[in-house]
Amino acid sequence: MTNSDSISLKVDDFDVDGAVREAFERMPQHTRSGFLGRTVAAGAAALGAVAVWPALASAKSDPGDITILNFALSLEYLQASFYTEAEQIGALRGALAHQANVVGTHERAHVKAFKQLLGSAAIKEPAFDFHGVTENPDAFRSTAVAFEDLATAAYKEQAPLIKSRSYLAGALAIHSVEARHAAWIRRLAGFLPAAHAFDEPLTDAKVVHIVNSTHFVTLKDPTTSMEAKPRFTG
Amino acid sequence: MVKGALTRSESADQERVPLVARLSRGALLKGSVAVVGALAGAAVGGAELAASASSGGSAATDREILTYGLLMERLQAAFYAAALAGGRLTGEARQFAQVVGAEEQAHVKFLTAALGSSAGASPRFSFGDSATDPAKFIATAISLEETGLGVYNGQAVNLTPKTLAAAARVVSVEARHAAWARALAGKDPAPVAVDVPITVAQAKQTFKPYIVQ
Repeated sequence: MTNSDSISLKVDDFDVDGAVREAFERMPQHTRSGFLGRTVAAGAAALGAVAVWPALASAKSDPGDITILNFALSLEYLQASFYTEAEQIGALRGALAHQANVVGTHERAHVKAFKQLLGSAAIKEPAFDFHGVTENPDAFRSTAVAFEDLATAAYKEQAPLIKSRSYLAGALAIHSVEARHAAWIRRLAGFLPAAHAFDEPLTDAKVVHIVNSTHFVTLKDPTTSMEAKPRFTG
Repeated sequence: MVKGALTRSESADQERVPLVARLSRGALLKGSVAVVGALAGAAVGGAELAASASSGGSAATDREILTYGLLMERLQAAFYAAALAGGRLTGEARQFAQVVGAEEQAHVKFLTAALGSSAGASPRFSFGDSATDPAKFIATAISLEETGLGVYNGQAVNLTPKTLAAAARVVSVEARHAAWARALAGKDPAPVAVDVPITVAQAKQTFKPYIVQ
């Protein structure tokens, strides 16, 4: 199948309405690289051990599939945590509060599904700090637009790389739900729900770069945590 | 048009959909176990999985699925054109018809180019007041968009990876259309956590009234 439109994608092209940039440029800047950058972009290095783990899913699964499922899980962790926190804080009203409730329910279901599928191969949930965007309806709205368009683009890139038919079917069924979420929140934000005839994929490296640039992910890696502990020198 | 693959897909679909539909109606929204079930195999049918654990596909199957996709896109494009020609849509419904109609036309062009000489001629369509009556327009739009999305989601697992990558650029746009149409009807744009595939056989029943024989 030829792509007659032949669109070369850059993050700026993807971020057509500036929603990602707008939401993320407000974030306080930190210098430490994020959790996702190490575990997901590192890919094989971080997840190379999973193939030998006796988990239900990993026993027969392609190592690449496990990496992709964990990448998806990391995005679902991010989204689920975002909506859950927004709901708990309770600053949203009306249609926006309803969207956060329903979509949050979906994202939490996605998290549970991937965790159960991956078993012991599932990456651990990082700590998140949303820097106040869950407390402000406008910031919530633009961040949600960015997250949902990002998740749609991420699943689209990964789906053709999945080896297992069953995992592919599941990923596709979630991919279109993420697109519905994107359309839903875009409409509430005053953007066209379907702004283009073709949705473009986004590589895992670009997705990770965007997520890291938000500094929403705060978990320290084990080495850093150990170093942060006071040494016993008695 | 290659008959074999679509027939096989349809028979797999017959087993697939009732199970997934049952899961989604109840537990998918909140339950994790049911979602795992959908992810782990229910969504593609146990028997089909056993026979083919890995996705593979062939050029012939790709062509067959894209040909059905082209029919759906042609039907949708004609539907929005008829709705706009009727002149009774106003406000956001009219904007929806304009934006989505243009995107369906782009999908028709894209699939026609991809299929080349095997694209064939479009059938003629007739929508009556399903397109022109504002209340019926939204209900029909939801039906056509949900059906199109469900067929794409059901058939995408049968595509080769390269064609899947191309088709996926269309599928999520159809999901956006379905969500937007639902919003216009006052429904939740995303009713369940995992979208349910629709069989080609079911889709044919939905589309039949609009295709002029």
